[in-house]
Amino acid sequence: MAASLQDIQRRIASTKKTRQITSAMQMVSTAKLSQIQRHGGSYTVYADALHDVVAHLATAHINNVSGTLLEQRHVSKVGFLVLSSDRGLVGGYNSTLLKELMARINERQLTPEQVVILAVGGNGADFFKKRGFDVAYEYRGVSDVPTFTEVREIVKTVTTMYDNEVFDELIVGYQHFVSRISNEVHLEKMLPVSAENLEESKDDNKYTADYEMEPSAEQILGVVLPQYAESLVYGAIIDAKTAEHAASANAMSSATDNAKEIIDSLGLQYNRARQGAITTEITEITGGMAALD
Amino acid sequence: MSEHTLHVKVVTPDGVVFGHETASLVVLDTINGEEGIMANHSPIITSLHIGEVKVINEEESYKENITISGGFAEFSDNQLSIVSDSAERTQDIDVKRAERAKERAEKHLAASDTSDTERAQAALMRAVNRIHAVTGNK
Repeated sequence: MAASLQDIQRRIASTKKTRQITSAMQMVSTAKLSQIQRHGGSYTVYADALHDVVAHLATAHINNVSGTLLEQRHVSKVGFLVLSSDRGLVGGYNSTLLKELMARINERQLTPEQVVILAVGGNGADFFKKRGFDVAYEYRGVSDVPTFTEVREIVKTVTTMYDNEVFDELIVGYQHFVSRISNEVHLEKMLPVSAENLEESKDDNKYTADYEMEPSAEQILGVVLPQYAESLVYGAIIDAKTAEHAASANAMSSATDNAKEIIDSLGLQYNRARQGAITTEITEITGGMAALD
Repeated sequence: MSEHTLHVKVVTPDGVVFGHETASLVVLDTINGEEGIMANHSPIITSLHIGEVKVINEEESYKENITISGGFAEFSDNQLSIVSDSAERTQDIDVKRAERAKERAEKHLAASDTSDTERAQAALMRAVNRIHAVTGNK
């Protein structure tokens, strides 16, 4: 009996240590979450400014789009930009995303030859490599609060590949941050830039003045569209990271709760075993006395 | 805001990095060459070079140079928004860092195959632009 008492004690101690770690990780994730949310706020200003100008230019000159990112090409290859996490310990963050992506690929009946995977984050890269897809680009180690300078390389590579017709359509798959407790998988077609997307928010477009264009609207569109596409991809990366921190904070908080439950039930077991041991000792002593009498 | 001033803001992915309420003249480095914008200019959208934006108010003897890496400018209702990948005030530029970046880009250009050239060239232009903005030997 004494041995099992010690066992239980050891398990309690180790679960307590685990709880300490998970609760620390939860706090770290929560801190990172609020950090990136602040950063995301300042990015929105930039994205909105770009969006409004592009929408203004594109709706006015929608007929003259050949050679720009607005042009719809015949799709022979589809690029998927997969924004997953590098680490685990983020609950269902990666698995639900990858499941949805596979479902989309199957739904469109794309063979692995028709798919080009661009993976940001190790989980996605490994997943698609294992399944025999062409992983044309891989990037690991996006920092917790990515700056534009940092992800510029990713963003530029993606748009350059599109320009070089490595793929003719780009779908970005990521977990969209809804709230601290829920995420939502988004599979968004970002390239070619679709007119519907731009017109969606036409009503609240503040750029309604009759502009002079210098040098010409087409040339400005040629400069602004790539910048817009880049900002979309960057926005998705920020969103995905935000969701990752939220998912991680959640996973760690439920791990901490679980640890607490285990400790409670182990405590109960420990007390029971201790009682049992005392009872046996008493029986032994009284038994011994009875034998002496 | 008086009638002869305009509001400038510089927007990058990292937020609004610069704003000034009372500029009398803003000089932009556009694709077609330098262009000055003063208050009550007609609405305009123009694309910008990798270069410098000068924000000036002579009455207040205020002058600020901002180094930007391309992008575009939009002006209406005496509001000038400059939207760029990156921007920093010239006085905040770390010349040593820019010089290192320049060396790196030049090495890339010398060694690399064709796929990288464009990016290295852009990086080189950015670095040179930063250095010039500070040292002024354009």
